[in-house]
Amino acid sequence: MSDVLIRANNLSVHFPLSRLGFGERPVVRACEGINIEIEKGSFFGLVGESGSGKTTLGRAMLKAAPISHGEVIYTDDEVTYDLGSLQGDELKDYRKRSQLIFQDPYAALSPRMTVRDIIAEPLEVMGLTSSREETDTRVREIADLCRLNLEHLRRFPHAFSGGQRQRISIARALVSGPKFIVADESVAALDVSIQADVLNLLNKIQRDSGITFLFISHDLSVIAHTCDFVAVMYLGQIVESAPTRKLFSETSHPYTKALLSAIPSLDPDVRGHAQRLEGEIPSPINPPPGCRFNTRCPQAQERCRSEVPEWREMSSGHHVACHFSEELA
Amino acid sequence: MTKPLISVKDLTLRFRTDEGLVTAVNNVSFDIAPGEVLGLVGESGSGKSVTAKSLMMLNAENSVYDESSKITLCVDDQEHDVLSLKRPRDQMIIRGGAISMIFQEPMASFAPALTIGDQMVEQLMIHSDMTAAEAKEVSIEMLNHVGIPEPAQRFGQYAFEFSGGMRQRAMIAMALSTKPRLLIADEPTTALDVTIQAQVIELMKDLVDEYHMSILFITHDLGVIAQTADRVAVMYLGNLVETGTVRQVINSPAHPYTRGLLNSLPKLDDLEAPLTPVPGDIPSPLDRPSGCVFHTRCVESGEIADKCRTEIPLDTIDNASHQVACHLATQGDPA
Repeated sequence: MSDVLIRANNLSVHFPLSRLGFGERPVVRACEGINIEIEKGSFFGLVGESGSGKTTLGRAMLKAAPISHGEVIYTDDEVTYDLGSLQGDELKDYRKRSQLIFQDPYAALSPRMTVRDIIAEPLEVMGLTSSREETDTRVREIADLCRLNLEHLRRFPHAFSGGQRQRISIARALVSGPKFIVADESVAALDVSIQADVLNLLNKIQRDSGITFLFISHDLSVIAHTCDFVAVMYLGQIVESAPTRKLFSETSHPYTKALLSAIPSLDPDVRGHAQRLEGEIPSPINPPPGCRFNTRCPQAQERCRSEVPEWREMSSGHHVACHFSEELA
Repeated sequence: MTKPLISVKDLTLRFRTDEGLVTAVNNVSFDIAPGEVLGLVGESGSGKSVTAKSLMMLNAENSVYDESSKITLCVDDQEHDVLSLKRPRDQMIIRGGAISMIFQEPMASFAPALTIGDQMVEQLMIHSDMTAAEAKEVSIEMLNHVGIPEPAQRFGQYAFEFSGGMRQRAMIAMALSTKPRLLIADEPTTALDVTIQAQVIELMKDLVDEYHMSILFITHDLGVIAQTADRVAVMYLGNLVETGTVRQVINSPAHPYTRGLLNSLPKLDDLEAPLTPVPGDIPSPLDRPSGCVFHTRCVESGEIADKCRTEIPLDTIDNASHQVACHLATQGDPA
């Protein structure tokens, strides 16, 4: 396929820990053997519990986390970069093309800079504008796009509510004209009505400007509403990926099923139907052998404890890593 | 009808600040019956936590309760006027005795330098005449009860050695070990993953049945409310705008704000449904709108917008138990 913007081939991210006594150095296997392709102009969702490696994967795609094995290839109309070996001017150029929106809008903005300075900083650092007038024009354009008032630009972040701050973060990410944005839990800290507002804004930006989004969230209902394509992650591996509609209608992995049923239903008459997932996510230092989900899977059998499930295609665009998907679907 | 366990009447609470008195809670009244789960919903800044903290007199020094405010706690046929309890000795009944509280961020609510066990034993010894050994036994049993594996070993560990879900379980164990009649749960699942959230909700439901305890469940997630609460109170900028049974409020919301909250939720059974946010942001409590506090963001006022701007809506009772403070409801407008 030619219209893939960024692709990970067998990507692994490992963080070595300091040695405890003798023996091998323990390694946190945050991402292991990841294969994903994100198409140009798509809204790609990545879902999973805390500790599943979503953020690490997102950062590896931005070359903000070390790539231990495998490769990440970025291709747009102008350039092709292999992120593993990217450095110097090329890396600087990639920083213009890719941006990150953080989770917590209270921590992401410097309290000592005005909103105008926060949004203008990437322009100045990257040398994208040559004069102050040009910078101001660009800041105003972006602020307008993110529905920030011009009078807001002179204020400091403390004067703003959570939703407004998140819009400032979005403006800062957009100002360098990126092609690829990683939004890491960008609505998790917001109230529902503000969350809806920010999601609508992100969707509008994607439609109008064709920017490709990698949207990381732990909330499947948010993912379902915004993304075209979803990948489900568990303990450093992708366990299922499919176009959104397919993932919800033909759920094939027991973990995806459990995540879906854990979302509290809005219907007070439907109580206690959650398929409860026992226990918690194991440590990525010492993942269970075989299928990594076997310790919590309600359908686990002998085979799951010894044999690593293959990453296989169920139907067009729908991949899953489970021995027993046919029986589940 | 049995006597309510706790009855809040005309609670008005202001904070003394440099910019003058800020109204945080305005004329709020509600009852919680024994064994009932009341869900309190609203955005950040709507006054949910401040209301809950009033029940335990935990609000900061600069808080001023209005003269007319009254909170009555009724335990074992004895009535306590909560707001008149001034001395710490007298406050023991509302602080860990008959009322316990669990907080949103379990890491911040445990002391980091004491073991979980020490903290559980300490409060048990204050609230009962147990010896340290008995208290330890009860604590370990409680930890086991909330589903913490190897409780005896966990008893000697520190909060940082627990995962988020385990910490929240330990918090629940600690809050319940004194056998309170009312548990205040302030966003207990907001910081947890959905799978762990489902486990904690399940646990809390089991415990309500077992101990016949009442819960004041504070959250901004209407899905969590639908799964846990018997009755719901919706709060906006310090006012209660709607109260009713969970079915009434979720299935036929009568206040435009409640409808707005429901419309902004992503729904799994209808992926095409657009997300409709409530426009704008919650106003500053320093600058409370006149008339109906919600009029600045209300999209439904239409022709009667003038009335909403000037007149404060009164509580109207739709049918038994369903109350709403909105001019549209009084007009018999099909809601």
